[in-house]
Amino acid sequence: MKKPPFLLCVCTLFLSVLNSCELPPRDGSAGVQNANIATMEAGAVNPNEEYVMITTAINMPMYVNHDQAAFRRWGEQMGVKVSILGPAEWDVPAQIETIEQVIASRPAGLLINGTDPGIAQAINKAVEAGIPTVVYDSDVPGSERHAFLGTDWYQIGQMQGEEMARLTGGKGKVAYMGILGLTNMEDGFRGLLDVLKKYPGIRVVGRYDDKASVELAARITSDLLAAHPDIAGICGFDSNSGPGIALAVKEAGKVGKVKITTVDWEPEHLLLVRDGVIQMLAGQKRELFTWYGAQFLYDMVHRTNRLSGNDAQSGISNVPTSVNTGLLRITRENVGQFLKR
Amino acid sequence: METQTYTNPAKLTGPQPEKSRLRMDKLLQDRVYSLSITIVVICIVASVVFPQNFPTFENLSQLLLNLSIDTIVAVGMMLLLISGMFDLSVGSMVAFAGGLTANLMYFHGFPVPLAITIGLLSALLVGWVNGYLIAYQGINPMIQTLAMLGILRGGALLVAGAGIQNLPYWFNAIGQSRLLGIQMPVWYMLLTVAVFSFLVNRTIFFRRYYYIGGNAKAAELSGIEVKKMKQFAFILSAVLAAVAGILLTSRLGAAMSTLGRGLELRVITAAILGGASLTGGVGKIVGALLGALFMGIVANIMIIARISGLWQEIILGLILISAVWLDLYLIRRSRA
Amino acid sequence: MHLQLAGISKFFPGVKALDNIRFDLLPGEVHAICGENGAGKSTLMNILAGNLQPDKGQILLNEQPVRIANPVHAASLGIAIVYQQLSLVDTLSVAENIFANTQPRNHWGIIDRAALLGQTRQLLENLQLQSIQPQILVGDLSQGQKQMVEVAKALSKHPAILILDEPTASITEREAGTLFAIIRQLKDSGKSVIYISHRMQEIFGIADRITVLKDGQYQGTQAIAEVTPTDLIRMMVGRDLEASDGPSAATREELLRVKDLSGNGFSQITFTLHRGEILGMAGLVGAGRTEIAQTLFGYLPRRSGEVWLKGRLLRVSHPREAIRAGLGYLPEDRKSQGLFMDKSLTDNIIAANFRAARPGNWFDSSVARELAQSYREKLRIVTPDVEQDVLHLSGGNQQKVVLARWLLADPDVLIVDEPTHGIDVGAKAEIYRLLRQLAAQGKGIILISSELPEVLALADRILVLREGTLAGELPGRGTTEEEVMALAAC
Repeated sequence: MKKPPFLLCVCTLFLSVLNSCELPPRDGSAGVQNANIATMEAGAVNPNEEYVMITTAINMPMYVNHDQAAFRRWGEQMGVKVSILGPAEWDVPAQIETIEQVIASRPAGLLINGTDPGIAQAINKAVEAGIPTVVYDSDVPGSERHAFLGTDWYQIGQMQGEEMARLTGGKGKVAYMGILGLTNMEDGFRGLLDVLKKYPGIRVVGRYDDKASVELAARITSDLLAAHPDIAGICGFDSNSGPGIALAVKEAGKVGKVKITTVDWEPEHLLLVRDGVIQMLAGQKRELFTWYGAQFLYDMVHRTNRLSGNDAQSGISNVPTSVNTGLLRITRENVGQFLKR
Repeated sequence: METQTYTNPAKLTGPQPEKSRLRMDKLLQDRVYSLSITIVVICIVASVVFPQNFPTFENLSQLLLNLSIDTIVAVGMMLLLISGMFDLSVGSMVAFAGGLTANLMYFHGFPVPLAITIGLLSALLVGWVNGYLIAYQGINPMIQTLAMLGILRGGALLVAGAGIQNLPYWFNAIGQSRLLGIQMPVWYMLLTVAVFSFLVNRTIFFRRYYYIGGNAKAAELSGIEVKKMKQFAFILSAVLAAVAGILLTSRLGAAMSTLGRGLELRVITAAILGGASLTGGVGKIVGALLGALFMGIVANIMIIARISGLWQEIILGLILISAVWLDLYLIRRSRA
Repeated sequence: MHLQLAGISKFFPGVKALDNIRFDLLPGEVHAICGENGAGKSTLMNILAGNLQPDKGQILLNEQPVRIANPVHAASLGIAIVYQQLSLVDTLSVAENIFANTQPRNHWGIIDRAALLGQTRQLLENLQLQSIQPQILVGDLSQGQKQMVEVAKALSKHPAILILDEPTASITEREAGTLFAIIRQLKDSGKSVIYISHRMQEIFGIADRITVLKDGQYQGTQAIAEVTPTDLIRMMVGRDLEASDGPSAATREELLRVKDLSGNGFSQITFTLHRGEILGMAGLVGAGRTEIAQTLFGYLPRRSGEVWLKGRLLRVSHPREAIRAGLGYLPEDRKSQGLFMDKSLTDNIIAANFRAARPGNWFDSSVARELAQSYREKLRIVTPDVEQDVLHLSGGNQQKVVLARWLLADPDVLIVDEPTHGIDVGAKAEIYRLLRQLAAQGKGIILISSELPEVLALADRILVLREGTLAGELPGRGTTEEEVMALAAC
């Protein structure tokens, strides 16, 4: 007897609640760019002004030594507060969660490592909230970020391909490894393959996932050397590929016979180039990503360059949209200069 | 009158203060109770320390959104832990189900409901295989689900590749719509917890898991088909992980092969903080939510305080050890 | 219901657990089954409960042959069994344990908590067990209360045949009284009860007929009025216990002195043990005998008290130190505590004294093998090869392996905990002979045993424990079982 009115109440409540459900905006329909950015006067630096960098795998040595060091140095020089946040592991959803939670605390600017296209939503949320947002390292397609600084990974692949073709004289077996499934790596692989395609004498014998682990890269390489004793060259695409490949090649006593090209220029990479184990490094100018990235944020906040009466209202930004910082080609000839740094 | 009839000679011989201490210990041993109090205390402290950043609607709704995926997976894990087992493959299942659904929609043009159905069916199959090999063939759950973790992670790489963006609008709407200003995954999480809390408390079917975890032999003797029930628990865990994976993909508007990395351990941690034990027989579904909530709050405070991610893991590790140790200490004290 | 068993046999690897057993249970009858440990009572019960299938023979229910496939099937046939706390879940409430998997539901299929508690309370009230509250966790109950919950659980299914397996082993006298009242009530309503026990007093108090098993063989069925306890013991044992009256080797030289020892489950225990003496420790299950032994041996923590061995104060916190000091402990449960089941005889025998197989600085497996050989012959362990896994040995031979380990370690004081549990009569006699021999060599032996005839026959003195305290001391000669039981039970 008591049940029908109760059920009716529940149904009514349910329907009215459902009615208040908001759907997300359709693509492109939102005027994301027009959100007002909280700005300050050009000269005045507020010591509470905070710039936050959000990355993933926060203690990866390459990130700490290059990106984070330059960002911290910039903060000191400018006299503003800088914070670096993100998960300890390579965990993109956790990076997204960090971005979303930081938005709620309204920093002056956000500098975001473009680890995966999946972070586009979170970046758009920041832009919508009126926070100047710069992406570095890899661009995030589909995001409305104000600016991007980074390296063209397709170029990294091309550079390695051309060097490998030169080193091997355009013939022989070549393999490559990196983290499969990462957008920038996949771009790099594409660049490499597009170049190697032009050399009919080169046969690509394998594509491997070393999961950014030195041990795994070394194991893959020694297996490769066993399966293809005549392999001519191996290309690496993540920070640990190079040391791993070099280790296995050294152990097999094939230094110089198997050509190695790889990315990054940590001290151990440089030493391997000096010793002739690795023939070429395609280096990124990571310091420039974060230094200028932070500077872009600062310039947006402080309206350093005014292109219109009010840039935000005009729907424009006063910083470069996209910056390619270019690549470093490190070989035995110039490695000495890098070791002196 | 009630207390008069209860005479447990082992317990009630002590003087009066002894009794109240025992009652306090008992209450503290109930993790749902002790964790709720801890959460309230932490929230109050955080609101005082960070009045501008912590107690805002924006922050709290974001906090809930971030723990919704973990909690949905944790509900399935809680059921497994109650029955004395666990599933390490849930993190990979999240990535695989999300990736498969996205792949079908993006590359093969499947309609949204069909793609989701296939994503869920794949989980059904995975759970069935896990459960069959563990319950009927006797493979250790740790080994079986560890192997499945690898298989599914590889599978996720296969279907999601370098990531899939630009998913259909209606698919994204599932995870990105808002109700009363709060994003949908939070509501799905609350619904899942509420439904399973009720089922586990009040239906014979789900109640059986307590018997299985408490004493499998006794369960068998009481007429419970232990093997069948175990297999079902693995199926449920996989399907809930797939629901979470599809929801996460929809919420991010993108599939990634790296989704859910390390999620299995996070979820087991949440469930154990919420009162489960690896030996089985104890735990409540709502504990999974509380455990995840607690971890979410800790993570949120760390971010607000701008403390680096590695500290978060150290602190959570210490909290987990303290919680379990406190339990053992209270049990020892109540037996002494 | 009329239950008949005809020609039931059951074989386990190496053992004939049941051999051509007959049994007949009439409606409204209380039928006791008795026999020594290892006589086959538990195997028979497991067959009736559907846990085991007979290799030969037939089960008839109301003259219809049945095959009892599993416990659920047994329950549906109206057979309920009260295990020794085997079927309870500590982490659940009394109510949920009693109505495991059969919780009352409302018309929506949802568990009706109020009905669950109500029905449990009703059931417990009928059983005069108001002291147990339905919502209490079973883990918080005493052993005796758990046993009564087990009874309530069996009765909640309204069985036609109730099987009770040593139900009074761990319950108080008052609870036992309640239990007997329940049994009589069941009998009056035409239900049948199978009562397994080796307590004569209870059997003669409650049973109508009695069937005796010995070493898996059917010994006969008698109406209770037609037998005396003496007849029954003769049927169970098959002969008078030959263990009695050996010469005592006890001296006046003090070997072990225990003063005010307290620990888990016992307190304020004081006694001495002399060279060449066998000191019996009697008491009910749960009286604290095993706990005292394991505390002396450093396996359980000591709360207070002092122990002197050969005049030296002994401080042990780990069995390793106890072994060094000259103590040995043969544990109660040889399968889980005594043996490495999938290791060879040799490995098991040298486990407590690796030094013996180390003539120089290094472990020498051939020396170990020779040692094992010599003990195999000395103790007459029946096995083709010392490299065989102990898993395949019979219970008696397994126990001899554990004993051999301690002979090799050569302790001054050897504590033996239920040394003849579950082994056959022949092997028992050999173990008795070995214990006597050890005493004659000047060692001190503490014998913990639930089989009173064994304690009475072997011990020079008997300590009786009750609920963790020393209830009294009796001389080994001339004491009767009744005198011991009077001290052990309250």
